[in-house]
Amino acid sequence: MIKFDDTHIEQLLAAKQKADLHVYSLGKFNIVLDKNEISDNWGRDKAIQLFQFFLISRNRMALHKEVIIDRLWEENGTDQHFKVALHEIKKILEPKTSSRSKTKYIQRQGSSYKLNMENVWLDSHIFKSLIEVGNNVVGHQDELAIMAFQGAIKLYKGVFLPNRIYEDWTSSERDNLQMLALNAYLSLSELLLQDQAKESIRLTEEALNIDPTWEEAYRVQMMAHMLNGNRPQAIRCFDKCKKVLDKEFGIEPLPATIKLYDSIRSK
Amino acid sequence: MSKNDQTASFLLRFTQKIYEDEKGNADLQWRGKITHVQDNDQKNFSELKDVIDFIQTKLSELTMSSMEEDMSPKEKEGILMKSMDIWKKLAKSYPKMVADVIKDPKGQVLQIQEQITSKAEDLSNRLQLESYKPTSKSDIQDLSKQISQLTDLVGSLQKKVDKIDRKLAKS
Repeated sequence: MIKFDDTHIEQLLAAKQKADLHVYSLGKFNIVLDKNEISDNWGRDKAIQLFQFFLISRNRMALHKEVIIDRLWEENGTDQHFKVALHEIKKILEPKTSSRSKTKYIQRQGSSYKLNMENVWLDSHIFKSLIEVGNNVVGHQDELAIMAFQGAIKLYKGVFLPNRIYEDWTSSERDNLQMLALNAYLSLSELLLQDQAKESIRLTEEALNIDPTWEEAYRVQMMAHMLNGNRPQAIRCFDKCKKVLDKEFGIEPLPATIKLYDSIRSK
Repeated sequence: MSKNDQTASFLLRFTQKIYEDEKGNADLQWRGKITHVQDNDQKNFSELKDVIDFIQTKLSELTMSSMEEDMSPKEKEGILMKSMDIWKKLAKSYPKMVADVIKDPKGQVLQIQEQITSKAEDLSNRLQLESYKPTSKSDIQDLSKQISQLTDLVGSLQKKVDKIDRKLAKS
């Protein structure tokens, strides 16, 4: 098991300075090369899609060309389509190098391809790494966990590749990142509950904006309102939770939420 | 992609809630969300019936939108009925499959493991892996001795061929 300390977080946060290609995928798709923003429509849509496809490779594993063609071009795809799109990416990212030379940003392993993370800074990748640190240290190194979750939340500016929400090859990654964001908001709101109740309320509100049925967020928010001395707001929070769960699932809140509500009412 | 050949993708998310009821007994609840990717329409559910209804609605919409405009109402109705029949067959077995995974994930994993083991055994039988053994040091020594003998043999054969060539050239 990896032992984490604050140098891990510092390294993750400093990674941006080392890479000359910065890719933003959360909330908005954007590429910054050597501090210059590349315009949104830098290439044909398939070339942009191919580049975005490299952003979702699991655990940064290389993806076989056939898999990529199958997902992006479906049954009409050919090797030529792939080559043309890859060439277009290279032309934009490395205009000064020859078309036959190796690319700096996309690594080839036989017939498989992946982003070369030594030269690329990707927000979703750093976001996941920070959450991994947070989840591993929470409970025994809470200050470190707070740093990690705060860093991650700062990067989560919205859903993954919002301009591709109707493409099925992006949906699993989007959902996965959203779940991580929800858990990060919740963990951080719990960690800050006693000392920063107002910030805890703000964080749970952010989580509920993403998913209004997230019952744990209502519970933390109710406790935060109580710590803040606002009992009526804590009761309203429960009422909202009950209403949402009934409307969306046709169910009652969990016993833990009802128990908390009862204890608030009795005070 | 042609109008007759369209895709509907669904993303299904389950969240498990384990909790203690009023009597202190452990209980479990599943909450889920289904997303139709192509229009990002979403629905929360706690019963699989709602998932089936959601998918059925989306598939009907897809079938309707795929039908050619010049089709007669009767033809349209026929295609829609066929689409519904296919979905009904799938819907009958799908909830059971999902429910089995939820009820007994360990059992499902074991079943998959058994399938993998059986496939591996099948493959091993076909390849007769037992007949292959790792190369030992003595195997390599034997092999290099045989190669050296073969090299000598080829050398002497070459000499004989050269001799014959020379004889033929003279005659």
